[in-house]
Amino acid sequence: MAAREKINSAAPVAVSGLALFSALRNLWKGALASSHKQPSSIRAVQGPDLGNQKWPAELHSLVDPLTTTRRRILTNTFLSGWVKVWTWILAGLMVAAAVSPKLAWAVISAGVVVVAGAIAVVILTWRARPSAYEAACRLDSAAGLRDRVSTAVHLGGVENPDGMVLRQRQDAVMRLAGVRPQALFPVRLPAVARHTLVLAVATAGLLVYRIHYKPPIVALLQTTARSQLVQSILTPIVHAMEKDLQRTMALIKSKPDSPADEARPGNATTTDDLWKASDDQGSKPEDGQQNSQDANAGDQMQDQPQSSMQNGQGEMRPGDSEQQQEGSQSQESNNGSERMGGDTQQQAESQNSENSHQSLSQSLMQALKNMLSNSPNQQANNQANQKQPNSQGMQQSGNSSQPGAGEADKKGDSRGSSDSQQKATQNSSSGAGSQQGSKELKKDQAALPVNAVPDRVALESNGFKEQTRMRIDGGTGTARVPVREVSPQAVATTNGAEQENIPARYRLYVQRYFEHPENGQK
Amino acid sequence: MEGQQSDNPLAQQAESLAEKMQEVRAEISKAIVGQGEVVDGVLTALLAGGHVLLEGAPGLGKTMLVRTLAQAVALKYSRIQFTPDLMPADVIGTAVVQENGDGRKSLGFQPGPIFTNLLLADEINRATPKTQSALLEAMQEKQVTVAHTSHQLEEPFFVMATQNPLEMEGTYPLPEAQLDRFLFKLRVPFPGREDLHDILDRTTQGTAKVVISVVDGPQIMEMRQVVRTVPVAPHVQEYVVKLVLATHPEGRENLLANKYIRYGSSPRGAQTLILGGKVRALLDGRFNVSMEDIRALLLPALRHRIILNFEAQADGRTTDDLLDEIAGKIS
Repeated sequence: MAAREKINSAAPVAVSGLALFSALRNLWKGALASSHKQPSSIRAVQGPDLGNQKWPAELHSLVDPLTTTRRRILTNTFLSGWVKVWTWILAGLMVAAAVSPKLAWAVISAGVVVVAGAIAVVILTWRARPSAYEAACRLDSAAGLRDRVSTAVHLGGVENPDGMVLRQRQDAVMRLAGVRPQALFPVRLPAVARHTLVLAVATAGLLVYRIHYKPPIVALLQTTARSQLVQSILTPIVHAMEKDLQRTMALIKSKPDSPADEARPGNATTTDDLWKASDDQGSKPEDGQQNSQDANAGDQMQDQPQSSMQNGQGEMRPGDSEQQQEGSQSQESNNGSERMGGDTQQQAESQNSENSHQSLSQSLMQALKNMLSNSPNQQANNQANQKQPNSQGMQQSGNSSQPGAGEADKKGDSRGSSDSQQKATQNSSSGAGSQQGSKELKKDQAALPVNAVPDRVALESNGFKEQTRMRIDGGTGTARVPVREVSPQAVATTNGAEQENIPARYRLYVQRYFEHPENGQK
Repeated sequence: MEGQQSDNPLAQQAESLAEKMQEVRAEISKAIVGQGEVVDGVLTALLAGGHVLLEGAPGLGKTMLVRTLAQAVALKYSRIQFTPDLMPADVIGTAVVQENGDGRKSLGFQPGPIFTNLLLADEINRATPKTQSALLEAMQEKQVTVAHTSHQLEEPFFVMATQNPLEMEGTYPLPEAQLDRFLFKLRVPFPGREDLHDILDRTTQGTAKVVISVVDGPQIMEMRQVVRTVPVAPHVQEYVVKLVLATHPEGRENLLANKYIRYGSSPRGAQTLILGGKVRALLDGRFNVSMEDIRALLLPALRHRIILNFEAQADGRTTDDLLDEIAGKIS
């Protein structure tokens, strides 16, 4: 703090480089001097040092034991510091060998650090070497001499000592005669040396392993990243982020061009507003029919958040379906397909002023998708799931439909579509199915990412689909009989979540996936 | 002294001091059974030039100890039984009308019982603070002032006060200023089984042993001078300073003192530790003060110089506990 104040006080003055260097050098010297300051008691007369020839004649016999004591203390201090340095070096080398693919560099760096550490430990040990007085204190404490030797050393520099001092020196010398400093201060490794030895063995083993194999941590991370459990954990998180980005993108898109975009009246951008508008839309059979036709276009409609928003707003026009298709194609361009060029042109046509916003959002989307597509297996699963769950979803929709929904099945149009579409179809045909249930489904749809569904449990859902199909072929067409036969858990069976390897907290996602109406469309 | 004789007189006095004190201890043990720490504390205070406050239940031999010590060291001895109606003049003396040989009357000073070498202030906490404060000047300055006239007390002047920790009703606790003037506060413990048997044997059979004087006042004064020549190493003195400072709640690092202590030790506490350490070193046959001497004297030297706060009393902490804990944290 004082150094900083000195620098600050000198700052307003015109400071040249040389003056600044001089000031810094003085500060460094001051810091060194302050670090060498000792307590007041130690700053007092400590008596002659061991290398000094001013020792009184009575105390000459103290020099050898004190020299031995100080040498042993220095040795033990050096060993302690050296072991600590080795511990850190071995730990660092172990980490480097476990992580870094370049083993040679790690070993060379460790060798350099060993040399530098040895030099540093020697310097620090020598700087912290005990004085004769401190060595005498240690010797008194170790030998139980009741501070006789330290007092004698302290009084060693007194010239013309009185009778009491002389008597004290004699007493100290006499008591020290029977003491062997070598026995009191043995040279021994510190207690942590055992841990260091274990660490050294482990490091050596790791280095031998690394000669033949690649870094274990890297391999472990790769294996873990490819594991289905990690994917099942990460995928919902990424999809949730993706959904937020899509919403944000839709909001950015909806605000500037309100005059041209008639499909977005008002500010119905929140989930509740969307749900309310969709409810209204569901009450119109024509709109529902239109939505059903749009839904028959396949997953492109479902992948487009803009289309869902427009559906929710309830003012669907014939031209909107084309616009949605265009929008969905532009969204698919984010997936890194070959249609990037054409989609870019379509985006330029459909999005006039908000290209910058959308490009940013698309970049984020692309980054998220790249995260998901790290594993080739995952990509393969995604591609497979984009086809299979749709048919499965169709079957599931048929299973879960109420008796009144059979007419809608005959139309063969809207079971795999969105909830509003399904609701509209039901309303137009027979009105079967509870309104409450469809309302929940609508909420679920609003909460789910539209193109994230195939990524979830594609492989597990395949087997379930075939099993369910077999039951339906031989059953009554209702959900109850196959549900009981497929799995003891009715809800899970109905929704395809009976696979045991799906974690419980993700079964809801799987359930939503199979309840997703558009999965049944092809 | 390990049989080694020194040719310098100061060293010879130091060596003879230990021998004399060993003889005094032996004489005291003729009358006092056990209580070795109390006897050592009393002798240490006597050689260090301080006063002792003995605290213990009735019947533990406090008065007997003082009387025996007075016999062993051949000092003038007087006893004052402190009561609530005791006045300062009863302690230090007063000016009275005296008639000289030719029949003329004049005011003359009549010395009180304080004019002695060894004063036993029995149950000192039963006198009023006014009377207690009459001892202040005598204990510190070794003189008393009556009617604007100061009267020097004879050296060595050694006050041994007793107080009973049980019967606190009708007592006046000693003020801090007077407590600080006592070098040691010694607690007289109840004797153990063996000591109690020995007490019964000595006091109920035959006659008591006669205590012989071993040293006298001038010798004690010489011993006091010798004591002050004992050297102290810097780290031992630093240890004393750390201990005393650690009892002060003002220090930021003194967490224990911050919590439980209202006022810490005065500088007299540090002086007591050093002087007492020197005496202990000589009595132990050494010529230097060690850390062990300081630790041994920590409780008697500082327990009456620390004032606990309400939190300590609420938590049931005592000064001895706190001092032990403080000493454990300081090396």
